[in-house]
Parts: sequence; structure tokens; C-alpha cells
Amino acid sequence: MFDYYLRLALRRCRQNLAMVGLLVLTMAIGIAATMTAMTIFGALAGDPLPGISPHLYVATMDAREAVDKDNPDYKQPDSWLKLGDAKALVDAHRAPQQLALAQSLTTMDSPDGKHSEQAWGFMAYGEPLGMLGVPLRFGRPWTAQELAARAPVVVIDSDLAQKLFGTADAVGRSVLLGGKPFRVVGVTVPWKPHTVFLDLQRNQGNPQGSNDEFFVPAEAALDAGVGPFTSGECGKGAPVIGFQSAAVQHCRWLEVWSRLDTPAQVADWRQFLANYADAQRAAGRFVYPPQPKLYGARAWMTLNHVVPDDVRLNLMLAGAFLLLCMVNVAGLLAARFLRRQADVAIRRALGASKRTVFAQHLVETGILGLAGGVLALPLTWLGLWIVRLQPVSYAEAAKFSPGVFGALLLFSLIVGLLVGVLPAWRVCRQPPALQIKVA
Amino acid sequence: MAVRHIVNPLLRHRLMPLLVVLQVALACAIACNALFLLQQKLVPILAPDGIGTPDRLVMAWNIASRGKPWPTGRLLEVRQALRALPGVSAASVAGSLPMETNAQMNGEAIAEDTHAKAGDAAVYIGADLVDTLGLHLVAGRDFSAEEQSIQYHGMGINDSGPAIITRALANRLFPDGHALGKVIRIGAAADAGRRTVVGVVAHLMSNKFDADGGNVDYTMLFPGVPGNWPMPVFAVRVAPGADVERVRKAVDATIHRELGNEMIRGFEPSIQMYGDMRAHALAKFKAAVWLLAGVSVVVLIVTLAGIMGLTGYWVQQRTRQIGIRRALGARRRHILRELQLENLLVVGVGVLLGLACAYAINLWLMRHYELTRLPWIYLPVGAALMLLLGQLAVLSPALRASRVPPVVATRSV
Repeated sequence: MFDYYLRLALRRCRQNLAMVGLLVLTMAIGIAATMTAMTIFGALAGDPLPGISPHLYVATMDAREAVDKDNPDYKQPDSWLKLGDAKALVDAHRAPQQLALAQSLTTMDSPDGKHSEQAWGFMAYGEPLGMLGVPLRFGRPWTAQELAARAPVVVIDSDLAQKLFGTADAVGRSVLLGGKPFRVVGVTVPWKPHTVFLDLQRNQGNPQGSNDEFFVPAEAALDAGVGPFTSGECGKGAPVIGFQSAAVQHCRWLEVWSRLDTPAQVADWRQFLANYADAQRAAGRFVYPPQPKLYGARAWMTLNHVVPDDVRLNLMLAGAFLLLCMVNVAGLLAARFLRRQADVAIRRALGASKRTVFAQHLVETGILGLAGGVLALPLTWLGLWIVRLQPVSYAEAAKFSPGVFGALLLFSLIVGLLVGVLPAWRVCRQPPALQIKVA
Repeated sequence: MAVRHIVNPLLRHRLMPLLVVLQVALACAIACNALFLLQQKLVPILAPDGIGTPDRLVMAWNIASRGKPWPTGRLLEVRQALRALPGVSAASVAGSLPMETNAQMNGEAIAEDTHAKAGDAAVYIGADLVDTLGLHLVAGRDFSAEEQSIQYHGMGINDSGPAIITRALANRLFPDGHALGKVIRIGAAADAGRRTVVGVVAHLMSNKFDADGGNVDYTMLFPGVPGNWPMPVFAVRVAPGADVERVRKAVDATIHRELGNEMIRGFEPSIQMYGDMRAHALAKFKAAVWLLAGVSVVVLIVTLAGIMGLTGYWVQQRTRQIGIRRALGARRRHILRELQLENLLVVGVGVLLGLACAYAINLWLMRHYELTRLPWIYLPVGAALMLLLGQLAVLSPALRASRVPPVVATRSV
């Protein structure tokens, strides 16, 4: 029966090509606009590290001391902590894994002085590779002993290794950071989260970020004169930004992340954090109520507006536009179906039930929907291509993926069927006798 | 011509008019909000930036100091070096300038006497900016040499002293038209800086383009050079007759020579013509304008096609009735007018619904995003646009209907 409906539908589509073309095109444009907006939104708003970031939490507290009282630019407790606080939180090992980090932009030189590269990466306290799931290609992460001993070791990615040494396997070689030799203990694959969520304060307005090309123990880097990209909040009251300075002993500049797998662990860590903050407040270091809080990675991204408002607005605009296209197509389909009332009436009179007539028309709109989806494919590709050309911070998120293709076809079928329900119901409701008489 | 003739059939066959109403309402809601967003994106593109002969202005930005900020004395030395270049008629160093969005200084400007407020006014602290930027003074005077040589301990935004403000800001703070000599407080804090207005310039664009509820022409100039500021911007005016590109290259070389070793590593300073800097800063606004304009046009085309298709069918259904009416004496233009009036009614209902939706959507967007209230003018304009669109869509089917010969009435009855 389905086979028969299919042939009927195709035959009918051939009858009025202009009308069918308009229907399919309208649906295709609506679907393509929505798919384009959804692709970008999905790429930005999804988990930045699938399987890992849902378990990551960042701590915030008002850790201001007497020197930066009354700073009008400090609006709410943020994630930056002093090295001492960050170390205390990490060293307590109350969570399965914990890590303090700050983003750095620094120069890496090969020891022979022939190659010099600027690289973005993290100064970290803890074990970043395991916690963030950064895959190693060669070597190993640094050990707890190396971290505690402030050993000059570094983990770089294979791109940087290639640029500096001409080979990806740079384990055992030395790179110069701040002019001092650091031994490469591990080489990772080129890596970055899908969306920036670590050290967001140094990454405002740059949701896509760049590859994190190195990880270095924070204290070893400071010893070599390498500091975070910006010095953070240095407690002078005035909002002065310092760049690339290792003189950060008076600054809050690291944020502390922890991996917490169960609600019990979250509660335990939250309690630990509150106890620590209260103790500092009681000791007179923190001059304001610390209000310690934990934010999951997604909540932290939402709070910091990582997904630009424009992306959300465009998604809503595209959705509303698709709705308009659907109403439009429903109207045109109703007109198209009702024009054939006489045919339907004859079929009804010959014994076809309402249900079969309904099914027959749904098959037709389903086919139109699929045709719209097929046409929407190049249109979506075009839309993403246009977005990639735009000077917007999220341009890189506009990538076409095979998953999008599958979603698109399914989506268009659903749209086609939804759009067809009303007209199909309308046409099968006609009393057959009257229509035959009119015809 | 009784409206009842038109309304009754609409009520009897509800599906078609209902679909038209729904489409019009949706299109109206989308178009109003899209056009409003578009207009907001257009603001910084269309606003006058106040810069005189911009094609002779070289800007050096994206310059940041490694470690501590440069002392102001050092910045003034660089400025002197730039000033001494052949073909340069004026040079300035400032904390921030129009189109420099990385380093922004903003403050709430409050008139001391009346407490009139302007939130988020841009503050440009720099030496000789009126000359270098080619600003047009409409009242008062430029800063004196003595005022220019002030040394700030901090950035300067909280210090007291003279200020030059834009006409837009003057009108906002001092609606009586007498801004000169009046005092503006920068922020509500007790120890906020007090600035006496000594001059008013025609325009000077803020570098905060999306100032919430503000105005991109609310700007204040302070003399001197900001202290403790890690991202200075240099502006160099090319003398008449000098080769602009040669001066730009000389500026580039001077900046690298003077500050190159002390700049943060991994950031390349931008030494550009002002026009290029402007294009760079406004590129994403232009992109958004194209996108929103495209969306609006497609929405209108889709709606037009939709109404046309539906009306075409709706008219065709009534061919016989129209024939009967013609046979009974209705003239062509009666039929035409009737169909047009019918369309006006249906689209009108859709428009009313759509405007309510547009307003509701705007209220919702205002709650969740940094958007301002939809100006009421959008409502009548949107309504007129949709009604016009409806009339356009009905024209061809209505003309076809009016050409139905009366003889149709005698067929197949």
C-alpha cells in the first residue's frame, strides 16, 4: 500500500512542478537556516570536553584581602585565587582529582637558538593531563615529586615539538622558557576544548580559543620568570592589568578545578571549600564574607556568557523563521490538497477509509519534506560557509559534520509530516457524496 | 459595499483565512524584531565618529607592555619621536581612542547640579587629541598647554580637572544648553573626579558600541596621559601634502624601535590607517546587518509567496460565485475592491496579532538579553509594511478574479 501511495505522490508531484518547487524550496530554506544556527549553537553550547567536563567544577570565592578593599571593579566573587590558596586547596586532595591553572602566552626557544615560537598554554599546579583527559603521544605527565620539587619539566604538543625540533617525539629534549632549560617529559596530541571554559577571565569574547600547546608546573615557570598572560587581580584597588609578569606573589591569578563524580563528592568538596574560606576569614586574611561557590563547567560557561548572545538570538530567529515556513507550506499544501477534493471523494466513494486517505496524503508531504531536506543540505553547507567567512568570534564553530546530515534528513521528514497533518486531516474530512456531485 | 459580504464567507470557511492570519502574525513578529536588531547593529556604523579627514590619520594600537605599564614619561617620549617624523603635523598618545575596543575606559557622567546622568560615557585621556583627531569644537576651547601637561598618579579617570565633551553628552547632561563651566562627576562615589567642561565638540564616537541604553556619541576627553595603563594607543596626523603610506611605515618603524622590546610577546602591534581600523572594529556589525537584512527580506518574500498561493486558491474556489455576482451586475472593480478589502481585513487581524507578539517577544528578549525596548514607531511601520505586502500579494489573484466572465455563472450549475 505504501508503495502505491509513493507512486501516487510522485505522479502528483510531477503535475504542478512550479508549486512543488515552491513548497520544497520554502521548506528547504527554513530547514537550512535552522540547521545552520543549530550547528553553531551546538558546537558552542555543548560539553567542551565530552565525558570529562560534566564532572569538572570550578571554585569561586571573595578572596580579597585588606589591600584591595573598596575596589569598585570587583562586582562578585570570582574564580581567581592566590597561589598559596590554590596550592592549599589542591594539596588537600579532597576530590578524586584537582588542579589549579592559569593561561600563559610565552616564548619557547629551542636550545640551539634556531627556533623560537610563541605558544599558548597552561601553568598548572596538580596533574592536568589526567584530569582534563589530554591524550599523550609520547612520554609521561610530570610526577608529584617533580611538581613538589619545582622541577623544570614541561609537556608540549606535537605541533610545537615539530616546529621546535623537527620531530614530534621530543621527549627528553630541552626547551627554553624564559631563557631557562625545561626538560620535555611528555608530548600530547594537539588539543583544546571545543569551547573555552578554563580560565575564562583571560578569554573573554573568544569562545573558540586556540590550541593549548604546553603545560608547565606553575612554580617552576615562575622561577624561570614566566608568568600568566595577565597578572590577575593584584590588590591595588586600581584595575591595573599587567601582562606576562612573573611578579604575581601579590596577585590572585589561578583558578582551581576539581573532578567530582557523585553528588556526595560535590557536597563534600563544597563543605571543604566553605571550611577553608571560613578559616581564612576567621584568620583575618579575607576581609569580606567569602561566599564560596562551586560551578559545574556548563553553569560556569553560562554565567560568563561564553556563547555569544548573537548566537542564541540567531537560533531563535532561525526557529521562528522555520515556523513561518511551516505555516506557509501547510497553507500551500492545504490549497493543493483541497483542489483535488473531487479525486479524494471518488476514492472515498469507492471504499477508501478516512485513514487510508490521511495516510496517502501524509506520504506525499513526507516525500516533500525529504526533498526539502535534500535541498537543505547544500543550503546548510552554503550557510555554514558564509558564517565561516564572517569576522565573528564563533566562525570556526560553523563546521559541517556528518552527524548534521543525518539530523537534517530526520528533521526534514518530521517537518514534512508535521506540516502535512493539518491539510491531510482537512481533506479526508470532506463528505464524499457532496464533492462528487459538485465535480 | 457591505463588509458583511466579506466577513461572512471568511467565517464560514475558516481554514484559509486562519492560515493567512497565522502567517502574517508570525512574519510581522519576526520582521519587527529582526529590523529592530538590525537597526541596533546599524547604530555604530551610521553614527558620526567626529574624526576630521580620517584618510590622513594613522593609528597604532594593540600595543601592550610586558610586566609593568610604561611610565607616562616613556609614552610621551615615543609621542615626541612620532611628532618629529617628517610629514607629521600632530601626534597623540591616549589610553583609548575611537575604534579601539580592547582597551576601554568608561564612566558614568553625572551633572553635579542637576544629577542628570549618562551611563557608560567613553573617556579618552590623551595629549592634544583635538588637533590630532581633527575634532570640530563647537563651543569653548581646547585644553591649554598647562592643562595638557598634567601628571596623574593613577589612570586619571578619578582625578579632577577640565574636560571636553561631545554635543550629545552636553545636551543630555545640561539640557538648558549651557554646558561650559559646568561640573561633571565621574561616577557616584564620594571621592569621584570632578571635571569642569571647557569645550564641546560636535561628535566623537565612543568605543563601547553596545552601550546599554546609552549613546555611542557620549564621550569625554581629559588632558594628559593615563598612568598605570598597559595598553596605550597612538594617533598620528599626516600633514597635508605628505605621503600617507610613507608616514605609516615610519610610525610602524618608530613604535617597533621604541617599544618593541618591552611589548608583550606574541602580539603584533597594529599600525593602520584610521579607516582600516574602523573597518576592522565594525566588521562584525556589518556582518550582522547583512544577516538580519537577508533574513528580513526572505521572511517577507516567503510571506508574499504564501499569501499569494493561498489567495489564489481561495479565489479559484469562488470562481463560480464571482461569476454569479458579475452576472447579477457587479462590476470588475467591485470584485477587485472586495477581494482587496477582504485581504486587508484578514491581514489586519494578522498584523494586530503579530504586533502583540512582536511586543511580547521584545519584552522577553529584554529580560534575558541586553536589548532595549522596541520603539513604538516600529509597530505602525511594521503594520503598514505587512498591509502593503498583503495588498501586493492579493493583486494578481484579485485581478484574475475580476476578469472572470459572467458567463461562468451559467456553467456546471
